[in-house]
Amino acid sequence: MRKHSFLAIAAALAASPAMSEDRTLTISVYGFNQDKFEELLYQPFEEICGCDIVVETGNSVERLAKIEAHAADPVIDMAVISSHDALGAARKGLLQPIDVSKLSNYDKLYDFAKDPLGDNLAVGYTFYATSIVYRSDKVGIESWSDLLSDELADYAAFPDITTTQAPISLYMLGKALGDDGHSMATPISAIGEKAGNFVTFYTRSSQLAQLFQQEEVYAAPVGRFAWSRFAGSELPIAWAAPGEGQTGGINVMIMTKDNGNEDLAHEFMDYWLSTEIQTKLAEALVDSPANSEVVVADDVAENLSYGADFVSTINMLSPAVILDNRDGWISNWNETVIQ
Amino acid sequence: MRTNRAEALALVLPAALFATAIFLVPVGILLSEAFRSGGTWSVDAYFEFFSQPLNQTVFFRTLKLGVLVTAVSAVIGYVAAFCIVGLEPRNRGRIFGLVVLPLMISPVARTYAWIVILGRTGIVNQAILGLGISDTPVRILFTETAVFIGLLQLFMPLMIISLVSAMENLPRDAISAARVLGANWLQVFLRVILPLTREGLVIGGTLVFTGSLTAYITPAILGGAKVLMLETLLYQRVTVANDFLSASVIAMILIVMSFSANVLLKRVATSRRGGTP
Amino acid sequence: MNRTWTSRLVIFLTLAFLIGPFFVIIAAALSGGNSLAFPPQGFSLRWFIAVFEVKSFRASFGLSMFLAVFGTLAALLLGVPAAYAVTRYRIPFGEAVRMAVAAPIIVPGIIVGLALLRYLVVPIGMTVTVALFLAHTALVLPYAVRVVAASLENLRPDIEEAAVLLGCTRFGAFRRTVLPNIRGGILAAFILGFVTSFNQVPVSLFLSGPGVRTLPIDMLAYIEMTYDPSVAALSALLAFLSIGIVFAAERFLGLSRYV
Repeated sequence: MRKHSFLAIAAALAASPAMSEDRTLTISVYGFNQDKFEELLYQPFEEICGCDIVVETGNSVERLAKIEAHAADPVIDMAVISSHDALGAARKGLLQPIDVSKLSNYDKLYDFAKDPLGDNLAVGYTFYATSIVYRSDKVGIESWSDLLSDELADYAAFPDITTTQAPISLYMLGKALGDDGHSMATPISAIGEKAGNFVTFYTRSSQLAQLFQQEEVYAAPVGRFAWSRFAGSELPIAWAAPGEGQTGGINVMIMTKDNGNEDLAHEFMDYWLSTEIQTKLAEALVDSPANSEVVVADDVAENLSYGADFVSTINMLSPAVILDNRDGWISNWNETVIQ
Repeated sequence: MRTNRAEALALVLPAALFATAIFLVPVGILLSEAFRSGGTWSVDAYFEFFSQPLNQTVFFRTLKLGVLVTAVSAVIGYVAAFCIVGLEPRNRGRIFGLVVLPLMISPVARTYAWIVILGRTGIVNQAILGLGISDTPVRILFTETAVFIGLLQLFMPLMIISLVSAMENLPRDAISAARVLGANWLQVFLRVILPLTREGLVIGGTLVFTGSLTAYITPAILGGAKVLMLETLLYQRVTVANDFLSASVIAMILIVMSFSANVLLKRVATSRRGGTP
Repeated sequence: MNRTWTSRLVIFLTLAFLIGPFFVIIAAALSGGNSLAFPPQGFSLRWFIAVFEVKSFRASFGLSMFLAVFGTLAALLLGVPAAYAVTRYRIPFGEAVRMAVAAPIIVPGIIVGLALLRYLVVPIGMTVTVALFLAHTALVLPYAVRVVAASLENLRPDIEEAAVLLGCTRFGAFRRTVLPNIRGGILAAFILGFVTSFNQVPVSLFLSGPGVRTLPIDMLAYIEMTYDPSVAALSALLAFLSIGIVFAAERFLGLSRYV
């Protein structure tokens, strides 16, 4: 085993330029549920295409930063990131349009997923609701502002300002406090005043599940894509239905500019969007389907954000709003909250 | 000593050139970048960096924790080293081995242990609840205390090693002589032990302080986003925003801090020797 | 309490703080329960077995082993001649040369990793694996030079001069008289270098790419994702690996003479 790895690495060292001649697809994805993705998506695709998939994981903004750093000679062929990070990448000229004529499953997608950024720069493959996950034996959550309640002193967590979940959670908190403007001044200063409520500001949802297990945290905003990790716990953990409603977002696939591997990347995207794979991923509670043909049993539907009707109830922020205001939110947050 | 230049250069150049090409040149370019903001040579990037309150907080926190960890490990280190040197040689070797041991173990494993120990359901809290010191578990993770404890465990061995080596050369009779002449332990320490072990203190102190400044894993795991240190801030600036300017400013600050610590410790150690009575 | 007992108590408490956490980790790793806890719930070896089933650990362990073994060998290849030159020759610009070789110790690792990413990996398209290899070699180089130089200083130069007078070439003399005598020093340098490289985190932080991660970096990512005792088990295994290597080194070579 060890010898084998040595040889593999030695070979990679000696002949790395030759790598591109093999059929290798390098993808950049969220760290969540990788074991299930491996089983349901990567392995079956590798068998079909006779190629290797190399996976990079991390949160959306970190992976975008890496794609930008390597823009001159792209390492990543296709990535799945949040819709506003995708817009950011598009504005920086890091993307090329996806050739939707090569996606046989394109027409099956819900309308909101077909072209969320315009010019076919991205295709939605899943969407999610975001609400507050909480320990039902310790606290009750009726509103987003309950995160600031004294009951949760030193037991709440909030997404770090740089993450995808932060802006939408702030927006809902602002709504609960009577200010749903895009400046986020009200919710940020409220969190600053109640900084003692928050154990930490998390950067990856996977980390949050662990903090619940350790009983460090009793309540935190989190995306539904992470729910299976909480639901599988032995602790009584519930998904809140706050009076202000839930928020959420769309995750999209993007194609990096000039990656030289467009055919394989298109093939992979199409496979991921197929009814078969989207159904399997939904049944495993990995991702909500963006493919409208997917039908799942009621017990699965209960655990997912599911269907076009549901999407219309989610309070979303448009990618442009997030991108245009984010720098201001971050500096306000750094001055008010992290102090 | 031979003086054949060609031979000497042929032997030493590969290593020197390698270190220069792989280390000095890239690091030098990185550090110089912060002085070239706006196309000309300037120190604006530094003013800009320190004008932001968050950066000030992080800078002073890093400095504070570095000083605290160094000071506390020096105090414990002196006591422990004094006890270790007093052992018979065979035991001394064994104990010394046990002190060195943690240095050989992955810092990730070392830091991870503290999650188990310091968490709300960890041993420390079980003891606190069990002894009735508090009714509710105390949160230690994601505080400066947690980072302090982690750093102390990580770097104290370096201080003990340096001090033990220094004390081995300490003449035992000097201490007993001072005691006989009526000096109390504090006087013995200040007048006899400290001056004779200052070399060890300078080496140990520099290693501990520099280590605490540049540790990444401990503040990342035990501190998180609420207890940023310069090292974690640097990582965050680069990975989240591709902000290389801040990164090179922080890099320069870290190097200057380590270097000044070394100079300062040397100063302190030498001034004590000839210090006022 | 008399003096001896006070001093034993001090030593015990200090060691408890320094080494105690490992016993906690080992106990937690042997737990039969599903989440990390101390005292452990039941006893089982399943988390140790689980470690070997994590696919990414296998790949990253291979990479870390590769870097530690070959990075250290490369450092010795550069370092032994340099150590020889430092101890046997008066070198022009000796101080500058010494500084250059020692630089990797002084500069914080995270900066080195970032500098290599920005000025070697991105602009000239060097692969991350090559950059990691170069960085680990440079990182180990100062230790290699220092430890080997220490053992060369204990060796009298006249033996080798005698060999030259008796008709050996310079290199022949080095190979026959010097090399066998500094074998211990070279092995000690190898072990120190191996441990340094294998545990290295900051340099590797920025030098990771799709499918390329060293073991400590992989563990960091895994810790954030899971709360089961498998990370404790992996930590315990790594601790045993390091302890084993150091124990063997101390036993057979007297490593502490060189540290």
